Amino acid sequence: MSDPQQDLNRDLKQLIIDALGLEDISVQDIDDQQTLFGEGLGLDSVDALELGLAIQKRYGIKIDADAKDTRNHFSNVATLAAFVTARQAA
Amino acid sequence: MNWINLEHLLRPLDAPRQVTHAPSLDHAQLSLQALRLAGGLRERGIRRLAVHLEDAASLAIALLGAWRADAEVLLPADLQPATRERWQAQVDLWLTTDEQLDDLLGEALAPTDLDLDTCRISLCTSGSSGEPKRIDKQLRQVANEVNALEQLWGKDLGTAWIIGSVATQHIYGLLFRVLWPLCAGRGFERRQLPFPEDLQRASREHPAFAWVASPALLKRMGDNLDWPALGPVRRVFSSGGELPSVAAESLQQRLGQWPTEILGSSETGGIAWRQGEPLWQPFADVQLSQDDQGALRIASPYLPAGHVEQSADAAEFSDDGRFRLLGRLDRIVKLEEKRISLPMLEQALCAHAWVAEARLGVIEEGRAYLGALVALTPAGLHALRNQGRRAVIDGLRQHLAGHCEALALPRRWRLARQLPLNSQGKLPQAELQALLLAPRSMAPEVLEQTQQGEELHLRLAIPPDLACFPGHFPQTPVLPGVVQIDWAIALAASRLQLAQRFAGMEVLKFQQLVRPGDELLLTLRFDATRGKLYFAYTCAGQPCSSGRIVLEAACA
Repeated sequence: MSDPQQDLNRDLKQLIIDALGLEDISVQDIDDQQTLFGEGLGLDSVDALELGLAIQKRYGIKIDADAKDTRNHFSNVATLAAFVTARQAA
Repeated sequence: MNWINLEHLLRPLDAPRQVTHAPSLDHAQLSLQALRLAGGLRERGIRRLAVHLEDAASLAIALLGAWRADAEVLLPADLQPATRERWQAQVDLWLTTDEQLDDLLGEALAPTDLDLDTCRISLCTSGSSGEPKRIDKQLRQVANEVNALEQLWGKDLGTAWIIGSVATQHIYGLLFRVLWPLCAGRGFERRQLPFPEDLQRASREHPAFAWVASPALLKRMGDNLDWPALGPVRRVFSSGGELPSVAAESLQQRLGQWPTEILGSSETGGIAWRQGEPLWQPFADVQLSQDDQGALRIASPYLPAGHVEQSADAAEFSDDGRFRLLGRLDRIVKLEEKRISLPMLEQALCAHAWVAEARLGVIEEGRAYLGALVALTPAGLHALRNQGRRAVIDGLRQHLAGHCEALALPRRWRLARQLPLNSQGKLPQAELQALLLAPRSMAPEVLEQTQQGEELHLRLAIPPDLACFPGHFPQTPVLPGVVQIDWAIALAASRLQLAQRFAGMEVLKFQQLVRPGDELLLTLRFDATRGKLYFAYTCAGQPCSSGRIVLEAACA
């Protein structure tokens, strides 16, 4: 049985790995709750920019430029998945 | 707009003027805080202050306060442990939070003019020697530069609110986001806004605004933004690195104006600018020449008097005095406007017990990042064999993390027993680049090949970085048996001219694990009458594996 939530999380992890060129990291190494930026996976603000573009392209969604603190959705894979799901429904 | 010279910023004002908002701060409040900080610094006898503050208004208070108290200011590039350690002996106090700033406030000193020759500020970069460099400036150099900027663009900007995506620790952010607006009486945003949507939100709060940005942001502005609403932007500054022409064109299409690019460095301050043109226009007071290699030499009032700065940027001049840049002559690279000294990172890597030698290169796939080719010491190989590739790379990344910002941490690693040096003992950058770009090897290195009677003897080295290792046992990389069989077939096929197809295996034995860095002897013998390939791997005389591979004629 494949759970759509798990599929999306896995998809996002692969997107992070591909978009950011993280050669030595695999999908299994990224925990859903793991902090992506700063400590944690050690990504920086340019990665956040890249990831923002990649996610908008991959899922055909738009990051709402008028909403406050949109980048809070980028803290981990679980929050990203929730964000993608919400934007797709919008 | 009433211009106030940098040295006169602490003078009492006739009319109120806003400095920033959220929370609101006007010039009189800022001056008072600076004078109180000056008092606090005096009371504590602090003469050398390191400042790293995220809030541009707090930074302005700290600078004016320190200068008023005759304390010199150092702006470290970051707060990495290695950075702190490096400057520790040259600093009395590190001022890194707003709370700390509040705690330092004392009895206000009387407002006076600042002395352009005795007030000092120091910026930090990674220098061309490979060591991070401290660049000392007199206030006069900085004052000359903000005056020139206002002359050039003051009218255009008018009352624009200044919004920046870059940090204020470096010369560009310091001048454009803090000191220039402060002198001009333009309000500025307190925080660095690295994301386009934040820039948009901040812009919408002001009838007139201008951006102090960098290519890292400008080349990643998506169509999720409300471009018509951003159109009124008075000017879009970009500095820190070259803005790709596609990014400049896209901004031109969306905003109806070309971004204004500033060429400069921490040492020289601004050198030249351009807007929608390939050629750079030197700033009015800057005198440029070239050395015999064609690299720019810069004399300017933003440098210490009489100093001529030799850059590593090759240039080509046109008759009207404008010039084209041809690239850097040394091994300082820029990643997202951050200057990274490859020699310095290589030295830092070599300080690790696992690393014999290391070479770094830039890989341009998506965003640009660093790749590292590392020759392991015996201790490094031991770690690789017993802890696995992941642990080794994590260890090296953690080691480097104390020396550089996260973006300079190599993302691609190639491990080797030694660097493949050429006959001059060098590894040319182009060759290194090719090695970093190539996928990790799937094949052994054939060191020697001899024919002994019917047997072919191959001496093989198992590369430390073989792509076949992962997955099997992550903590203990071993060469999978199936790969050993595959190698035997492949090596026999190319060297014994076998055209037959694999049909099965007999008496397969695996007696000893094969690990990265091992040297193996592979013995191959083909029995043509039986159609069987005999293979045996040994390591230091000990059998590792052996067997017979049955081959049959390939069908057409």
